[in-house]
Amino acid sequence: MNPPAKLIFTISLILGTTITISSNHWIMAWAGLEINTLAILPMISKSHHPRSIEAATKYFLTQAAASALVLFSSMTNAWHTGQWDITQLSHPTSSLILTSAIAMKLGLVPFHFWFPEVLQGSPLLTGLLLSTIMKLPPMTLLYMTSPSLNPTLLTFLAILSAAIGGWMGLNQTQIRKIMAFSSISHLGWMAIIIVYNPKLTLLNFYLYTMMTATVFLTLNSIKVHKLSTLMTAWTKIPSLNAMLLLTLLSLAGLPPLTGFLPKWLIIQELTKQEMIPAATLMALLSLLSLFFYLRLAYCTTITLPPHTTNHMKQWRTGKPTNFLIAVLATMSM
Amino acid sequence: MDLSLALNTFMILTLVTLSTPILLPLLSHNFKNTPDTITNTVKTSFLISLIPMTIHIYSGTESLTLLWEWKFIMNFKIPISLKMDFYSLTFFPIALFVSWSILQFATWYMASDPHITKFFTYLLFFLMAMLILIIANNLFVLFIGWEGVGIMSFLLISWWHGRAEANTAALQAVLYNRVGDVGLILCMAWLASAMNTWEIQQLSSPTQTPTLPLLGLILAATGKSAQFGLHPWLPAAMEGPTPVSALLHSSTMVVAGIFLLIRTHPLFNNNQTALTLCLCLGALSTLFAATCALTQNDIKKIIAFSTSSQLGLMMVTIGLNLPELAFLHISTHAFFKAMLFLCSGSIIHSLNGEQDIRKMGGLQKMMPTTTSCLTIGNLALMGTPFLAGFYSKDQIIESLSTSYLNTWALLMTLLATSFTAVYTIRMTVLVQTGFVRIPSLTPMNENNPAVTSPITRLALGSITAGFLITSFIIPTKTPTMTMPLQIKMTALVVTALGIILALEISKMAQTLLLTKQSSFSNFSTSLGYFNPLTHRLTMSNSLNGGQNIASHLIDLSWYKIMGPEGLANLQLMATKAFTSLHSGLIKSYLGAFALSIIIILMSTY
Repeated sequence: MNPPAKLIFTISLILGTTITISSNHWIMAWAGLEINTLAILPMISKSHHPRSIEAATKYFLTQAAASALVLFSSMTNAWHTGQWDITQLSHPTSSLILTSAIAMKLGLVPFHFWFPEVLQGSPLLTGLLLSTIMKLPPMTLLYMTSPSLNPTLLTFLAILSAAIGGWMGLNQTQIRKIMAFSSISHLGWMAIIIVYNPKLTLLNFYLYTMMTATVFLTLNSIKVHKLSTLMTAWTKIPSLNAMLLLTLLSLAGLPPLTGFLPKWLIIQELTKQEMIPAATLMALLSLLSLFFYLRLAYCTTITLPPHTTNHMKQWRTGKPTNFLIAVLATMSM
Repeated sequence: MDLSLALNTFMILTLVTLSTPILLPLLSHNFKNTPDTITNTVKTSFLISLIPMTIHIYSGTESLTLLWEWKFIMNFKIPISLKMDFYSLTFFPIALFVSWSILQFATWYMASDPHITKFFTYLLFFLMAMLILIIANNLFVLFIGWEGVGIMSFLLISWWHGRAEANTAALQAVLYNRVGDVGLILCMAWLASAMNTWEIQQLSSPTQTPTLPLLGLILAATGKSAQFGLHPWLPAAMEGPTPVSALLHSSTMVVAGIFLLIRTHPLFNNNQTALTLCLCLGALSTLFAATCALTQNDIKKIIAFSTSSQLGLMMVTIGLNLPELAFLHISTHAFFKAMLFLCSGSIIHSLNGEQDIRKMGGLQKMMPTTTSCLTIGNLALMGTPFLAGFYSKDQIIESLSTSYLNTWALLMTLLATSFTAVYTIRMTVLVQTGFVRIPSLTPMNENNPAVTSPITRLALGSITAGFLITSFIIPTKTPTMTMPLQIKMTALVVTALGIILALEISKMAQTLLLTKQSSFSNFSTSLGYFNPLTHRLTMSNSLNGGQNIASHLIDLSWYKIMGPEGLANLQLMATKAFTSLHSGLIKSYLGAFALSIIIILMSTY
């Protein structure tokens, strides 16, 4: 893409995120969300492929609707309470509508339908941005309004997200769609605890961001998009292969890796809040996502595809591994 | 003179004499058994055993000998004791007489067999086991004899073990006997726990005995004495050589079950349920066996079914609470049944192995001694007045008719008596009379005294045994002396009707028309459909059921479907259901969003 264009879009992304995070007034938050939406659209449709264009269109429609709902909820709240403070969202209807809007922005079930297709249509690095940076402003809004949110709705959305994320991910062969459903399932974990202990939500989000970033960057450096391609990726950068296995297992939440920490703390907090059936359900449903993470790990590392020669590494040397990957990987294990 | 000492001495001497052919070859290398030595040993034992019997008849002496006491646990001692009372003292000479005759016959019958000495040793083992059973005073020693006769029966039936039917028949015998053994062990266990003894003397109880041990005893008798339900092994046991059939499956082994019931009779005395069960079971067995014998064509099978029918009659007598009469019938039955088998063996050997009576005929002129004795045996079997069978059989029928009992049992027994006459006359007519149906160049002869003298000896016994035994033994229960004339004549009338019917039907059969099939004749020919039903149906069901449980229930269901694979299938179902929702159409997505928001808002109002 044209370098100046790329610069503008990147700066707009940073600007939009910063505005939303640091805002106190609903209109500012809304403005930041809109800037983010508009900035990422060209990045999704960078390759002008019909699938990318369709992904961009879907993304725009959904996000626009969601932003409108955010504005609507804040206006309703202003009408009833007379103020535009983000932390003072006291009207119940407003909080419901806001929860739905944020769910649409994030990709919580049943508002998640756009996410897999958008992620599939975008290049890997843009997908990384969609999964991590684009979730930060909505997550912040949720964090700031957390005292006045409806716990029942959030629990319901969360359990559904874990379930759908798990079951849908089982039927995919495209890695980006798998990552989309993994994202949905992790969002479920984040959503369930936000009413009781919002700091755990943030912890979960940060750790998730780190691990997903590792995975996306690794996939970008070995240039794989599907499971069958993943099988032969071990020849390109063998050490990265081993690291990818551990990162995937960390995403799955296996102790003693890092990804276990948020799950453990969330279950503990839920148990303290007497929500034992919910905790049990979440734990069981995360087994489903464990299966497709294991499948990814299996295709990457545990199994060898039929190959002819005995060589361990491709003869052509790729570029050396990104420093960022190394750092993130180390931190995510 | 101390008669009990003499009694004990001579009985022990009898047993020791019998065991010499077994012990002497172990002690000296030069001594080799031959069939003749074994035959002479049994003859000597018979002669010696006459002395204790005479002592008992003369003075009424009975004796109980304790050989050794096995101190099993503190409270339960098992004495190895022998009881020499009326039953054992009378049965010893009879069993030894019959065995001597059979062994003498077997020296001719099995002369061409390379392992004839082993055959005779087996028969000797069997005889020893049987005598231990008879002389036992407690159920433990009786059980030793019981198992012994069972094993020897197995070995002897499968003597010609190259023949598959012989092996199957031997297995059948062992399995059916085993089922009966369960009953005996049940009774022994109950007695050990309730009465703390297995001794016969201590067996009576003042109040009504519980039915459970008696059921066990009846089960044991059903197995060993081929009552209905556990009867198929007896006709199948005819696969063994004729001496085996004569000794085991007519005179001695099959009466062991009835003998057990006679010995434990004090327990049965007061339990009317058990007695009625014996009565009905015996009546059913006797009728069923007689029905099956009507259409048999193998001479040995006819005699086998006749044995089965007489065993049913003995069971009926037990059910009438008349053990002594049952014992009398056992004794007289031994003579003529053994003789019938020996005659049939002689005929079979002379006809070069032909056992089908449709291929015999007119043998009266060609084998006079054998066929005369066959006639005497058949007449004794039918209960002809004043032959051996009359004294026991007629008394049984009289007691049956004058007792207060189940009419159905009475009718069945009478019907079976007439059937006895029918098949006996049929056999006689087809074998001995009429036109000759054998191949022309059959060199049959009775020249060997090893054939004729046992048969004539047993014929003498068949004629006189009933008279002799009843003359010298005073019955403990008074037989019914007065009854209406019709009741007195019942047995004779029924038998005569059977004879007339048989003669009439055989006249029809000699016109060489094809026999029409009817359900009755089919029932009789296929032995009551019992064998295919029990041997195939229940076995295949249980084996199939077992296989289904092992492979379908455990392997497939529990390990796969209920566990991992079932779970995986459920997840697949869920995945497929949800995948169809993600259609890719933005319109449906936006519709879902709208619907969800509406639902969320509605739910709070």
